[in-house]
Amino acid sequence: MSEITSLNRLLDRMAGFERGGVPWLDALREEARTLFAGSGLPTRRVEAWKYSDLARALAKAAEGSGPARPAPEIPGAHVALFENGILNEGQSTLAAIGAIPLRQVLADPATPFAKRIGHVNPQKNHALLNLNTALMEDGLVLHVPAGVSLPAPLHLRYDWAGKEAADPDGRHLRIVLLLEEGAEATVVEAHSGSPGFATLVNEVHLAPKAKLTHLRFERLGAAARQSAVTLGELFAASSYKGFYFSEGGLFSRHEALLELRDQEAHAEIDGIYLVGDGRHCDNTTILAHAGVNTSSQQSFRGVLAGDSRGVYQGCVRVLTDAQETDARQMSRTLLLSDRAEMATKPELEILADNVKCSHGSTAGELDTAALFFLRTRGIPEADARALLIEAFLGEGIATIASEPLQNLAAGLVSDWLAFHASEIAHAE
Amino acid sequence: MSETVMLEIEDLHATVQGKEILKGLSLKVGSGEVHAIMGPNGAGKSTTSYTLAGREGYDVTSGRVTFKGADLLALKPEERAAKGIFLAFQYPLEIPGVSTLTFLKTAVNAQAKLRGEPPLDAAQFLRVAREAAKMLNVSEDMLKRPLNVGFSGGEKKRNEVLQMALLKPSLAILDETDSGLDIDAMKLVAEGVNALRAPDRSFLVITHYQRLLDYIVPDYVHIFADGRIVRSGDKTLALRLEEQGYDALIGKAA
Repeated sequence: MSEITSLNRLLDRMAGFERGGVPWLDALREEARTLFAGSGLPTRRVEAWKYSDLARALAKAAEGSGPARPAPEIPGAHVALFENGILNEGQSTLAAIGAIPLRQVLADPATPFAKRIGHVNPQKNHALLNLNTALMEDGLVLHVPAGVSLPAPLHLRYDWAGKEAADPDGRHLRIVLLLEEGAEATVVEAHSGSPGFATLVNEVHLAPKAKLTHLRFERLGAAARQSAVTLGELFAASSYKGFYFSEGGLFSRHEALLELRDQEAHAEIDGIYLVGDGRHCDNTTILAHAGVNTSSQQSFRGVLAGDSRGVYQGCVRVLTDAQETDARQMSRTLLLSDRAEMATKPELEILADNVKCSHGSTAGELDTAALFFLRTRGIPEADARALLIEAFLGEGIATIASEPLQNLAAGLVSDWLAFHASEIAHAE
Repeated sequence: MSETVMLEIEDLHATVQGKEILKGLSLKVGSGEVHAIMGPNGAGKSTTSYTLAGREGYDVTSGRVTFKGADLLALKPEERAAKGIFLAFQYPLEIPGVSTLTFLKTAVNAQAKLRGEPPLDAAQFLRVAREAAKMLNVSEDMLKRPLNVGFSGGEKKRNEVLQMALLKPSLAILDETDSGLDIDAMKLVAEGVNALRAPDRSFLVITHYQRLLDYIVPDYVHIFADGRIVRSGDKTLALRLEEQGYDALIGKAA
């Protein structure tokens, strides 16, 4: 049996880091370490982790990850390859777009990025963030200067395989995306394999009028334990467009914690998830509207098979000065089995008085009338079910602007349906 | 009655949610014939069409249905379709996220596969589909839109007939195809159906009103009441029904 990740083990690791060379980093890590030592790993006693108990998932033995599924390729993209959480510089093409390995930045006492790292939409009491800050080693910083538009996407490729993937200390990654005024970029994450324990934090700083398209394709193995957070600060008239695809894992969670700071900032998130037997998939969002005339839209669609568990916690906060906010959120879930479970928690906290906010959620089985109709046209039951699932998710995929990336997402859905054919062929 | 029997229903009893709706239905449909089934609401007309198409929850408690020599009731809905049964729905479903063209191609090729025939390639299929669509005044835009989403009542029914034209069934069951259609829309649908009449294709036209039968002229008319056929005749029976009403004719029979 492999070794187990534990709180003491993580604290020992934090204590083991050398100090002295880089004061800004030492201070950052020290604060995070102290806070983490006080909170420990998140358990379900913490409200935000009520449906996703990380401490418990880490205490379980995770053996065997099932057949490996290859990571999606992204033609024409600049690649940053992380193998078991470590950047493989030889296989990466960072220089072409001015991306810098995180290790290099963390070793630089005078780096201009010190004012950003750990300071984007900070969440002082977030245990997982503190853990990541205290232990982060690999990752990168992408700085896109004002007015520059990256001609090709940045492909962040995370592959996990072999014994190294199950490091009981975990692997803790940090990606810093800094887009200056009017800059534009597309960043695509692709995850495959089964990390024993991975934390990933993205820090997204969008200066006025900057535009980021952020796609996440999580195709982790059944034994994967990963918790990811995207922190964002959106200045005036900037725009964040997210598309999150996930197949879940033994434990898989992604939190989008975005602050729409100044007027006319806009955030749009579409998520689709397909979760097979024995897997867990958590999508959590907190969108804080602080500026006037800011807008956000979130739509999540999930398909749960076997005894899988899905979580959607979507919180919209509208602060006192954020008049004219327009915020919408929607969560829809298809339950393919009566053993599958969906926890949905929409929250609206509105302090301003002139706003438009809406939320809604549905969870149900495939429409039996539609299934019968398709079968009367000669489409066998299993194919009819797959067709309806594809149609349900297709509306989410259609929001991806780039055609090749749209095709990529559609391909991942078809693959999942083929791979899990026996789980979706009949109502359970 | 023609020489070849396409469909034979014998003393069929069926229940829906435990309630008996069909109470001894018997009917023989010969190859190439058009049979109209008329009757008041609640007589079991739609139950007949769903039971023949194999909908879950429509439970046959006794009786037999033989279609082209085979036991129809032993087959799944998709197998019935592949064998040649087609049900045109009274209320065609909207399926967001599936384009009409994709759906048509999936259905045509699924049936070919179940029959052990080679699938049509994309170009062949497009040619056939566009030709049929043109005849039924189904626009290119409708073909690209999600199935029936935002279609008018007439467009939905034309889309049903388009499916029929492409799937080429042996027995088409039209379940109150005239409901919700104005006279022009009904004519267009009837023209589409008439164009598909053939010696090896039979029709079961279920309708509440005689009006549709002015355009799709039946060989036989059956009056349905309380779960079975109470009177049969030729097309003049429908006209008498129109003049005298259900009560008079059903009353006479009983």
